[in-house]
Amino acid sequence: MSAPAVDLNRPSIPLGRLVAVEARKVFDTRASRWFSLSILGLVLLVMVLQAFVFVDGLQDLDMFLAFSGNILGYFLPIVLIMLVTSEWGQRTALVTFTLEPRRGRVVAAKLIAGLLLSFAAFALAFLISLLGTFLASSVRGLDVSWSLEGDVIRNFLISNTIAVLVGFALAMLLGNTAAAIVGYFVYTFIVPIVINLLGSFVDWFGDIVPWIEFSSAQTPLVTGDGSLSGEEWAHLATSGTIWLVIPLVVGILRLLRREVK
Amino acid sequence: MIAVEHLSKTYGSYQALNDVSFVCRPGTVTGFLGPNGAGKSTAMRIMTGLTPASSGVATIGGVAYRDIPNPSSQVGVLLDASAQHGGRTGREVLTIAAKTMGLPKSRVDEMLALVGLTPSEAKRRVRNYSLGMRQRLGLAQTLLGDPSVLILDEPANGLDPAGIHWMRSLLRSFAEKGGTVLLSSHLLHEIEVIADEIIVIGHGRIVAQGTKDELLKGSGTFVRALDPSALVNALVSAGIESHVSGAGLATDATAEQVGRAAAAAGVVLLELRAAESANLEEMFLQLTSDTQRDALATEGARA
Repeated sequence: MSAPAVDLNRPSIPLGRLVAVEARKVFDTRASRWFSLSILGLVLLVMVLQAFVFVDGLQDLDMFLAFSGNILGYFLPIVLIMLVTSEWGQRTALVTFTLEPRRGRVVAAKLIAGLLLSFAAFALAFLISLLGTFLASSVRGLDVSWSLEGDVIRNFLISNTIAVLVGFALAMLLGNTAAAIVGYFVYTFIVPIVINLLGSFVDWFGDIVPWIEFSSAQTPLVTGDGSLSGEEWAHLATSGTIWLVIPLVVGILRLLRREVK
Repeated sequence: MIAVEHLSKTYGSYQALNDVSFVCRPGTVTGFLGPNGAGKSTAMRIMTGLTPASSGVATIGGVAYRDIPNPSSQVGVLLDASAQHGGRTGREVLTIAAKTMGLPKSRVDEMLALVGLTPSEAKRRVRNYSLGMRQRLGLAQTLLGDPSVLILDEPANGLDPAGIHWMRSLLRSFAEKGGTVLLSSHLLHEIEVIADEIIVIGHGRIVAQGTKDELLKGSGTFVRALDPSALVNALVSAGIESHVSGAGLATDATAEQVGRAAAAAGVVLLELRAAESANLEEMFLQLTSDTQRDALATEGARA
């Protein structure tokens, strides 16, 4: 220890290790473990109901995928929100940013961990959907369709990834669990209503609503045959910039500069 | 080595730190002493890159904390033992830190043993820990990576006397092996028993710094008389300045000068001796009473 106080030639912390640690944080308290498992349980429960109780006609594979995607869309963002906000609520940010003071890397690790876990959840939802379709056809004896368009899978991934990213962005921006969760639901339910209402009264505003309203822009992803026109992609891009990219960038900039107490 | 140069921090119109400079050397324990709100924690957060400085720089081993690769494996930092996720077990808290630093799992057990947390305590959730246990856990975390520098904010808070004794020997042996330790406290006694070097801070400014011996040696004389007001008169007429210190008076004059003045006026002395740690203690009390609410209570008692 009599050598120089710090060794500048030591390897820095690899990003992969930070990602592994952040993923671990999603499951390392009783509350967070149960919340994550409950989401999976809810997907399973709805699958069973859908297979055995829902009216005939809702038991095709793409319908199972749509229902489980819906549930994940509501709850997975909360997992990402808590991964960010618990650092402030529990004040562990003090330790996290002492262990790795380059905050951008911590943010990247959280985002990557959150996305990897989300993709794992998507894969599980897909398996559960397969199981649901199988049960509906073999046990209940329904005539089901196993066909799955490539567009449907792509849209499932896009809309659910957007949902978790919005959760992440709001968490970064607001820094508080309750505010971010409420914000997420205001974002997905109330903001679209207000904008569309405004659009129906103000003519010129009505014309630009499709370009700025993120929720309507995502509707083609989950309805119809799943194919999007060029204009619909453009709507998604412009409204996504306003409601996802800008909050995310502002949230990250804010975190990089804020004082950690 | 920790070097802080001309550090200032302002929040709006409030100046939390005002041109603070000091150095902590390897092989020594430096005590950072000041009343609550004096700026100790702010300075420590700036040193570890958590709070940006308004001006000035803080370096550890010549570089900013954020430029140290895998910094926690080289600089152990404990800023607030309560800043832990209440839902995690003590072992999980250490495991997260060990995994981030890239240390083997066995290191977690070693540190738990070192700070005296039993396996069953380590399995409990941190929300059920006493402050003393959190401090031990926090110290375990700072020591995980076998660092050569320690930065500890109020580490003795909540420790029982045995715990404080234990921490003192831990830090002492850490410094004897060549480590650098900076620890803060708002209690003079704690700093007195642990530190070699003392930095006293108040209202964001450094008001005194030096080795413990220098600061505690004190200067001048303490004197106590049967009739205090007669003594004051005697000193005034001899041209000796004095001020109230405990039950007696403190002066810069020598014991002989005070004794002669008292004898000339026929004042009966009960005590006449070299002042002890009066200097530091009084300076500290003054600082504390300036910032704290008991100032009024103290003055009330004097009146």
